[in-house]
Amino acid sequence: MKMYLRLVKALIAGVEPSNNEKKRNRVFYYVMSVIAIFGIMLPMGFFVGVIMYALTNALFPFGTQENAIELFLHLISAFSFVFGLNVIFTVFYFSGDIENLLPLPLRPYQIIGSKFTAALISESVMEFLVIIAAFAGYIIGSGVPFYSWAIAVIGMLTMPVLPLIYCGIICMLVMFFTRFVKNKDTVNKITGLFTFLLILGIVILISRSGFDTQKLIAAVSTPDNTVIMVMNCIFPQVPFLVRSMSMEGLGILNLVIYIVINVAAVALFMLAAQGLYFGSVTGVGQGSGKKKDASGFISRMKLRPVSVTYFKKELRLLVRTPAYFTNCFMINLMWPVLLYLVFVLQGHTNFLDSFIYGIYSGNEETVLLYILCITAASVLVTAVNCIASSALTREGKHFAFIKYIPVPYITQINVKALLSIIVSGAGMLIYVIAACVWLKTSFNFTAFCCFISLLSVTFATYLGIYMDSVNPKLVWDDELNALRGNYNIFFNMALAIVLEAVICAGAYLLFRFTGLGALMIIIILTSLLMVLTAAAYLLCRYKATKNIDELGM
Amino acid sequence: MIKFENVTKTYNKTVRAVDDISFEVKGGEIVGFIGPNGSGKTTTMKLLTGIIRADAGKITVNGYNIRKDPIKAKESIGYIADSPDMFLRLKGTEFLELIADIYHVPDELRRERVEKLAETFGLTQALSSPMISYSHGMRQKMMVIAALMHDPPVWILDEPMVGLDPKSAFELKNLMREHAKSGNAVFFSTHVLEVAEKLCDRVIIIKNGKMLYNGTLEELEKKNPDNSLENIFLELTEK
Repeated sequence: MKMYLRLVKALIAGVEPSNNEKKRNRVFYYVMSVIAIFGIMLPMGFFVGVIMYALTNALFPFGTQENAIELFLHLISAFSFVFGLNVIFTVFYFSGDIENLLPLPLRPYQIIGSKFTAALISESVMEFLVIIAAFAGYIIGSGVPFYSWAIAVIGMLTMPVLPLIYCGIICMLVMFFTRFVKNKDTVNKITGLFTFLLILGIVILISRSGFDTQKLIAAVSTPDNTVIMVMNCIFPQVPFLVRSMSMEGLGILNLVIYIVINVAAVALFMLAAQGLYFGSVTGVGQGSGKKKDASGFISRMKLRPVSVTYFKKELRLLVRTPAYFTNCFMINLMWPVLLYLVFVLQGHTNFLDSFIYGIYSGNEETVLLYILCITAASVLVTAVNCIASSALTREGKHFAFIKYIPVPYITQINVKALLSIIVSGAGMLIYVIAACVWLKTSFNFTAFCCFISLLSVTFATYLGIYMDSVNPKLVWDDELNALRGNYNIFFNMALAIVLEAVICAGAYLLFRFTGLGALMIIIILTSLLMVLTAAAYLLCRYKATKNIDELGM
Repeated sequence: MIKFENVTKTYNKTVRAVDDISFEVKGGEIVGFIGPNGSGKTTTMKLLTGIIRADAGKITVNGYNIRKDPIKAKESIGYIADSPDMFLRLKGTEFLELIADIYHVPDELRRERVEKLAETFGLTQALSSPMISYSHGMRQKMMVIAALMHDPPVWILDEPMVGLDPKSAFELKNLMREHAKSGNAVFFSTHVLEVAEKLCDRVIIIKNGKMLYNGTLEELEKKNPDNSLENIFLELTEK
């Protein structure tokens, strides 16, 4: 047990920023923590809690109020499974610490147990918040006994365990039985692609099934809901946890069953680790070792502007590194699919109808809302893919390269910014153009939408690079750890969301309460974005370059 | 070619990694930088290449002040860092192309140098593969090729022999001699006293950020006639 705890501590220390990094900019961390807590975490928690409270209340008359929390817990478990697959693959088989752990006299279950716990803790912080918020909504809405709060805390901490155990067992089985696939890049990219296809498949299935929100609410209100029954087979622990809150007398028994299921799953997992892990982890390699004669390559070597070659290097590293490919590149394809899912789930609503009609008829308010949506989405996409906010972090231990080559820091920053603008911008423009074509907007309006989208992306890009320059996380042992537990990315996202919320809300309120027309508001918005982009660029030119210069390696 | 004048560098306001050090490396000289682990060798190299800033003092490379004219100074340097694990997902050719473009090496010259250096270090076959598939020694050889590709007047090499096989170490030593013979400066750190003995015109010994000795090994041996070089070094650094 002592060994297990020490390993967990060591592994978590590898993901979290070091104390030195925190000390370097204590004020920055405090300010950004406040923005992140009040800008993202609390509003999100509040939102989830309110939704759960409303759903619980709505189902109360049917006596099926626990169905809402049960369905939610199933969804969150499915979410954990889908997004945990790639993480568990990397943590178990491809992280940099494996070479140090394997020669130690440790048993497979000790390595897997500690790695699993470290991954669970570092991956589930936001999930914990969402789960406890949902429980809060349910407990208040349903009026279950006071001790339910204690059960909710147990549920919060243990809910992601089973989905991640599924991921772990699948990973070990795949790696054990496909020993010929010993290439990190191939496996990581396949799991990334699998995750994407899985989400895409779910979206297609839902959209083809003629999904209707009313039908769902009606279905959830019935005691024998088929969806929940199917999900109960996949995640059997969920109903017992919910019943432990709602069933007086038998509550304790249900809680015991919930704990027994989890303990049994962990025991089975450890048994699987003992039997499968060493047989599947030894010999895992990175990259391909195929060697071809390079004389052809050498004869084609040609002098190009340094910005072009530097850009190619940045792009190659982004696309060829599986962790970056999945989290920075593929995410640009993933989010529109998720957005589409939201639309599908909403079904045929009056709001959507009136929105489309508003665009067709040139309604000022709708057009303004459309532009604000594009701006907000562009900033959010750029912040979420973190190409900009990890631009310096991704250099890791060879950060010194930036400093000893004879290329001005601002040139290097601009190239890194260009990569973010192109990747984020391309992702955005595809969907902006598609939406404009679908809404049959004029060419000029479509062009303006593209312009304001790119402007927002550029602003978010330079802001992200500046944020990363303040305190880049340069100590990490594998690329996924450069992104995991990286406060800069999270803080940048929080700042982008808060700024965008202020800008969009401000623009909309100006429109509603000042009598200014939508055109004037859009002109003000565009001018403001231009000023902000220029300010973010200047921040990079003068402050980020200074930050880079002052960073010791 | 290298002027290091009264340079001081302190980490976290407490650890003096480089303490008021001054030395010079002239053109045509090979100077070895020796000292125990944590003595300040890598910090000195990083100060010279502009990776970190000095708290006090002046550093000039090839006549250019590293703070006031960093680009010109950096263009004059060929630097091998202490870790060769760099941009491992790039192919060897892609990495060398990046370096050649950074230092504006003309087409013909880059082809000629890559071919020659890759052959010298036995890397021609490996250049088309991603560097992640290279061994530590192969990665170190890549760093050597990258540092020498633009034929800079000043070589700053941080433990360049680490990981190299005997043949490659021999070739590198020859290249260092040839480079110095052509009037250029070579400044390198090492833990291997035999290498310093055979290769260097002069050595600088450093401990706890302070310079203990700056001169030829012959002079050092003359001052301590009954002692081996190893003993002299140990006595100096363990005082």
